[in-house]
Amino acid sequence: MQTIYTLTQTLVDGLLIGGIYAVISIGLSLVFGVMHIVNFAHAEFLMIGMFVAWYAWAWLGLDPMLGAFLALGVTFLLGMGMQRVLIKPILAAPQVAQIFLTVGLLFALENAALLLFGADYRSVSTPYQTEALSLFASGGERIIVPYAKLFAFLMALGLGASVWLFLQRTRTGQAMRATAQDATAARLMGIDTDRMYMLAFGLGTGTTAFGGAVILPYITASPTVGSQYVVLMFTAVVLGGLGSVAGAVVGGLLVGLIQSFSALVLPIQLQNLILFVIFIAVLALKPEGILSRRTG
Amino acid sequence: MSRMFWTRAGAVTRRGALAAGTVALAALATPLSAQESVNVGVILPLSGPNAQFGINSRNGIELVANEINENGGIEALGGARINLVVADATSNPTQAATVAQRMLSQDEVVAVLGAFASSLTLAISEVTERRQVPLLTMSFSDQITDRGFEWVYQIVPVGSELGRATFDYAVALAEANGESLDRVAIMYEDTAYGTSQAEGLRAAAQEAGVDLVMDEAYPLGITDVSPLINQLRRSDAQVVFPVSYLNDSLLIVRSMRQQGIEIPTIGGAAGYIIPDFREGLGDLTENVLSISPAAYDQAPDLTDRFREEYGYFMVHEAQEHAALMGVLVSALEAAGSTEAAAVKEQLDTMTFDEGWAAVMTGGEVEFDDQGRNPNAVPLMVQWRGGELVTVWPEEYATGEAVWKTTSAGE
Repeated sequence: MQTIYTLTQTLVDGLLIGGIYAVISIGLSLVFGVMHIVNFAHAEFLMIGMFVAWYAWAWLGLDPMLGAFLALGVTFLLGMGMQRVLIKPILAAPQVAQIFLTVGLLFALENAALLLFGADYRSVSTPYQTEALSLFASGGERIIVPYAKLFAFLMALGLGASVWLFLQRTRTGQAMRATAQDATAARLMGIDTDRMYMLAFGLGTGTTAFGGAVILPYITASPTVGSQYVVLMFTAVVLGGLGSVAGAVVGGLLVGLIQSFSALVLPIQLQNLILFVIFIAVLALKPEGILSRRTG
Repeated sequence: MSRMFWTRAGAVTRRGALAAGTVALAALATPLSAQESVNVGVILPLSGPNAQFGINSRNGIELVANEINENGGIEALGGARINLVVADATSNPTQAATVAQRMLSQDEVVAVLGAFASSLTLAISEVTERRQVPLLTMSFSDQITDRGFEWVYQIVPVGSELGRATFDYAVALAEANGESLDRVAIMYEDTAYGTSQAEGLRAAAQEAGVDLVMDEAYPLGITDVSPLINQLRRSDAQVVFPVSYLNDSLLIVRSMRQQGIEIPTIGGAAGYIIPDFREGLGDLTENVLSISPAAYDQAPDLTDRFREEYGYFMVHEAQEHAALMGVLVSALEAAGSTEAAAVKEQLDTMTFDEGWAAVMTGGEVEFDDQGRNPNAVPLMVQWRGGELVTVWPEEYATGEAVWKTTSAGE
């Protein structure tokens, strides 16, 4: 028996979690869109973002919602550096080499984190962490909106909108989209495509790190946290269409909603079953993604 | 992931001809003592999601090994020192088996200790059984000693027993506080550990005629528990039994607080009884109950040495691994040999009540035909101001249970 309360609660939960999937997927999609590289190490930047925000909280007393901007900055620079040193040399290499590199990077980053941060699980405590909005309460029924998730969702939404505006409205954003569409033509038009690649990679990793930081109030940071998200991230991106920022947002929200609603009819253990069935169906029937228009 | 992480007495060594040559030289240089050292294999998850538990376990083993070495080694073996051969099982059973295989073919280990997570121990036991090397473990899963294996020794109550005790103790505690249990909820992570413990809980609840208003497995790497907690809220349970590792336990308790669910929470060991649980949740841990296969307040004279050395209380996996090391030392002393068969004979017949073996509840360890420890008693512990206090069964209790919600300061 599903009451209207249960359904609304499921919808709210799905959207809140989906917003996070969206923001962490934007980065992955951006990197692919501009550079045509599938970055398997991408989820590790979520982990790095979480640790930056955690240290900002532990040492500076910064709330993760503010620490997220620090995470964005640090990872942006880190990502640009990595692009220059590691990714740039293999941009023209065969795809296999690119896969090996990013998978290798995944293991390297995970283990570097293990060495640097230790295997401990890191968790923050913030005043709003265990508080929740209670809406439409009547007769013991209510819709619960945990603040931690609400804040994370709003932050994610804000950053997603900023990235979109950046790509649409600024000259650099336009140059980046031009590079994504046709790098050779962009170069002929005087766009420094190498710089665009570097910026895109930095922005992509930074966005994902930001997403990692804002979920810190309800997810524990550990060196292996990326592996919990990597599959969801790829699913979101493929659902929405690899390379499309708007697609990543739609894909992320879809993943959240599918996860949430499937728990109503199936055991939670099979939370991801419906998700992957849809994933495979999309790959088979509409491999370019649900939103196939590429916006870079 | 660092797939291979070999250390010998703390330092990374290079294998192969070089090592062999050095050993040969060392043997020539000191021809007098026949027994230089005894290699003890330690396979634990030192990276990956269960790394923290693996590190705690290794600390327990190292504490005992260091104490023995500082006090003249193993007497019956001419003062032989214990040399720990530590390997990383990661959190992947296939990797654990590979590591075990390599360890047994390259190092002459007298026994293997490990591997915390039941799924890893199961994988390793296939190898140790084939090679006829004793495997001493504190993993809970029933399967480990259900398969008729002869070389595996399980020092803790098995998962189904823990599950059953969790339920029975909860009923007893509820009764002692004037409440009778009619509706309970179970949620568990779906690997070997959670599943076997949930089985015990389920069986005990059914036998007692108590309504299981929720009985839900969830994947280990769960990132969002709100569907679980929504279901719990709707189930109107009086008590919830979550069987989880650490990250999921933090998510569950936090989400319960967000939704204002204040029923007694009785965890299934693992994530619920380690310092990180407290660190992650702060005051929210107050009065959270959990089953525990051992508790440090049962043998403070021993477990305080751990706290002094490492700066946190002796978590149960460290305590049990220390006991395993203590048992092995006693068996070696009695056997006076490093032959696997001789050690096995002692493990099969002896009662271990000396040294670190006595750190287990009741102070005695034995192994029956199945390789289980009949003296193992599950304990119910409760969080009080950052420490764990044994509250049930009565004969082991060091404090009285508070039968109320997890709210702090109420």
